[in-house]
Parts: sequence; C-alpha cells; structure tokens
Amino acid sequence: MASVNAQIKRGSAELAVLTLLAEHPLHGYEIAKQIEEQTGGVLRFDMASLYPMLHRLERKSWVNAQWQTLPNGRRRRCYWLTASGRKQIAPLRAQWRVFFQALQSVTGFQNA
Amino acid sequence: MPNWKQIVRKKLRVLGICSPEFAEELAAHLEDRYEALRCEGLSAEVAFQHTIGQIEGHYRVWLVIRFLQEELMSGLITKIALPGLLTSAVACVFYWALALNHIQPNVIWLAGGQLPLWWWCLLPICGALGALLSQRKGRSRLQRIAAALLPSAILCTSVLMIFVVGFTMSGFVNHYQLVSARLESLGIVPPGFGLIPAAFSLLGAGIAEISTKKSRLA
Repeated sequence: MASVNAQIKRGSAELAVLTLLAEHPLHGYEIAKQIEEQTGGVLRFDMASLYPMLHRLERKSWVNAQWQTLPNGRRRRCYWLTASGRKQIAPLRAQWRVFFQALQSVTGFQNA
Repeated sequence: MPNWKQIVRKKLRVLGICSPEFAEELAAHLEDRYEALRCEGLSAEVAFQHTIGQIEGHYRVWLVIRFLQEELMSGLITKIALPGLLTSAVACVFYWALALNHIQPNVIWLAGGQLPLWWWCLLPICGALGALLSQRKGRSRLQRIAAALLPSAILCTSVLMIFVVGFTMSGFVNHYQLVSARLESLGIVPPGFGLIPAAFSLLGAGIAEISTKKSRLA
C-alpha cells in the first residue's frame, strides 16, 4: 500500500493552491479568497501561510509569478501553474485519496 | 485609503528581511482585503482594524517565523552550509600551513582562555568570504549573515561539546577541583568561542556587503 506523505498538512494546502491555479492565473488575495469561498470558510489562509508557501512553490518551479498591472492601475503579483506544477497535481490527489481511505477504514466515516 | 506599503514595511522591519517586492505583495493583499471589507459595508476604521490585524500580534510573529523558516531552509545547503564550511576549511588549511612552517602565532588572553591572534584576524575574512559566496547563490541578507556566522557556530558548538564531554568524564572521577575548573571554563566558552568570533565574522560580512554595494553603484 502506498504510504502517505508525512507532510500531508503542507501538501493539502499545496494541492488546493495548485488546483486553483490549474484553472487560471490568480494573485495572492484571490487565491485565499477563492479557497475560503469554495470551502464555505472551512479552509482559510492567512498571509503567514499563503505567501511563504507560494514562494516555496515558485522556488520549486511549480508556479511562476509576475507583476501585472490591473485595469484599475494597481500592480498585483499573479501566479500561474507551470508544466512541472501541473504534473504534481495527480500524485498529490493520489496521496490524499490514500489518506482518506486509511482514515475511513479506521473511523468508518463515509463521504456524504 | 491607508498607505499599506508603508505600514507593511514598518511592521515587518525585522532584520531587514522584508524585501521591497515581498512588502509590496503583502501590501497588495491588505489593500484588497481592506477594500473587500469596505464593500461589505464596514466603516473605514473597522475595516482598517480588521485588515491590520493580519500583520499584528501573533499573526505578525507567525509571518516572520514562517518567512525566516522558508528563507533559511530553502537554501540551507547551497546558500549557507557550503559557503560557511568552505570558509572554515580555508581557515583550517591556513592554520595547518602556518603550523607546518613552524610559525608560532601570537596569542591573546581572554578570561583565562587563549586564542591565536592570527585566528582572530582571519575571522573577518572568513565572514566576508562566507557572505560573498552566499551572495553568489542568492540575494537574501539573512542567508548571507547565516553563512558568515556558520564557522563561528561550528567552532562554538564543537568546543562546547568537548567541554560537556570533559565535564561528564570529570564527574565520573568525582574530582571537585576539576569539575569547578570545567564549570569556570564553560562560562568563557560562549563569549570566547562564539560571540566574539561571530562579531568578527559579521564585521567581515559587513565590509563585504558595503564594498559590494559600492562596486554596484560604481
């Protein structure tokens, strides 16, 4: 049986961000906002979690970032997924599947 | 609209780690948050308090810790350890070269302990080398400081370990005078082998930093 990555907690945040960025480029605030909205406020990113993680993903070359000027004249640092980052989504999802299956077998909880 | 860039720079002015680009990114986040709260109908004062709360108190501490953690751990080997170890190796080779040529270094005394004078003079060079080598790999000031300090940290840790082992051994033989001598020596180790060498290394790193800046400006 495949083992679950020890850094599952960090991985969960990474998976959420990578999945969002797979759809379209976003800047930091939009990422945090969309995750919060899509999870009904269950998952929330504060700046201390979000930006160090985004910069880590950038160092790994999973995402790229560039300053862009928005129509309102403001500058925002937009992130988008690289080909390398796209490849990471499937393994991360698989790890999560394994994790939930393991949890399910112990607790007997079922997905709604 | 509050000047979020200025607020972020002021709040995160810790060790000069907050680069202008990072500050601008955080400021942009706060600006968006503030506007969103205003759109929700909150007053300017309440929206400001909610927004600034994200970089105050434990959030601020947490942000600094996470940033330091990422900065240090991301390039631990290439940006800090290798330059630091390389400069330590240079210092050792220099020491052996002197010893092989029967050059007796002058010594200075420090609260009963002694260190070769040339070694003290070499430390700023080590610090400068560590910082410059680190700078070639990355531009973080914090990483350059860490690289410059690593030789001193290794030295201090090694000496402390020797003392701890010695202390344990002397505890076995239950020799009162030896134990008290060890305790006395332990008091001079951190400053003599840690803080002062670290200060010398930092001096070198500082000189390297200034000269690099000057050469860039030129």
